[in-house]
Amino acid sequence: MDLSPDLKVKLDRFLADVERKAFQMAKFSSGNLDEALDLVQDAMLEFVRRYAKQPREKWKTLFYRILQSRITDWHRRSIIRKRFLFWIRPEEDLGEGLNDLLQNLADPKSPNPYQEAVDKEERKALEKAIRALPLRQQQAFLLRAWEGMDVEEAAFAMGCSEGSIKTHYFRAVHTLRRLWEESQP
Amino acid sequence: MKEKEKDMEKKWMERIRNLLDEGLNHLDGRALARLERARNQALRGAPSRYRGILIPLRWLMVGSFATATTAVLVFFSWMHSPSPGMLPAQNPDDFEIITASEQIDFYQNLDFYQWLSTRKNGERKGKST
Repeated sequence: MDLSPDLKVKLDRFLADVERKAFQMAKFSSGNLDEALDLVQDAMLEFVRRYAKQPREKWKTLFYRILQSRITDWHRRSIIRKRFLFWIRPEEDLGEGLNDLLQNLADPKSPNPYQEAVDKEERKALEKAIRALPLRQQQAFLLRAWEGMDVEEAAFAMGCSEGSIKTHYFRAVHTLRRLWEESQP
Repeated sequence: MKEKEKDMEKKWMERIRNLLDEGLNHLDGRALARLERARNQALRGAPSRYRGILIPLRWLMVGSFATATTAVLVFFSWMHSPSPGMLPAQNPDDFEIITASEQIDFYQNLDFYQWLSTRKNGERKGKST
């Protein structure tokens, strides 16, 4: 594959912009750090291989389309794995556990350690609630509310109708709101 | 009232977005390093990930288990399979029943027909005497 140095720079910048959100989305869906990294890596490889020469304004939706498709495939495989290979214990995500542990410690040097601790608690509750959403609702919510896609873009990224996006998003917001209110002291 | 609700909804969504964005600043170094490596690999045009070449250990376990189970099943079915000389019916007379096209009811009521024939004979015999 021949990519001009200029295109490489643009692609590098674009991927650096989306990689963290993409990784978080994959992590919410898979619940596993390594699986999430693999999913993002696959999406990057596929995106550069197939769509690098597409116009720049299409990159975001194309990249997320590949990522969401990878995540959906991963879910299908994991359902089959759980159903037929139930005797195999899933890999423990020790790295993430340690990370969670470190994240829960408030930084004493922070100007407002109390607020920081509250934020961390809220973030933890929110991430737990997002992970609990059904896959399609989770994808619709993150693409619309976080990535800022409109209904049409989200429908393209998820490979479904605009009506489905509206339904999934509405249900996701409703569920998250309920879970959020329940988690508040 | 609706305006107030809309305003609250907007604030809530803003808070959610901020918390999610905040989460991006707390990714661990290992994840960030791997993301950077993945990006460079994608830009170099690497054909596939290492996972496609190497078979993960757990799939080797699954393969071994499936092979062992199949071997045991084949062995037992072979042990209990009928020998080539063995026929489904031991008595050659039974073949007639197995291969007959008549309904099975006939054979089930065979005793009755047998009894009926002896009774008719008996009656006839009785009348004649």
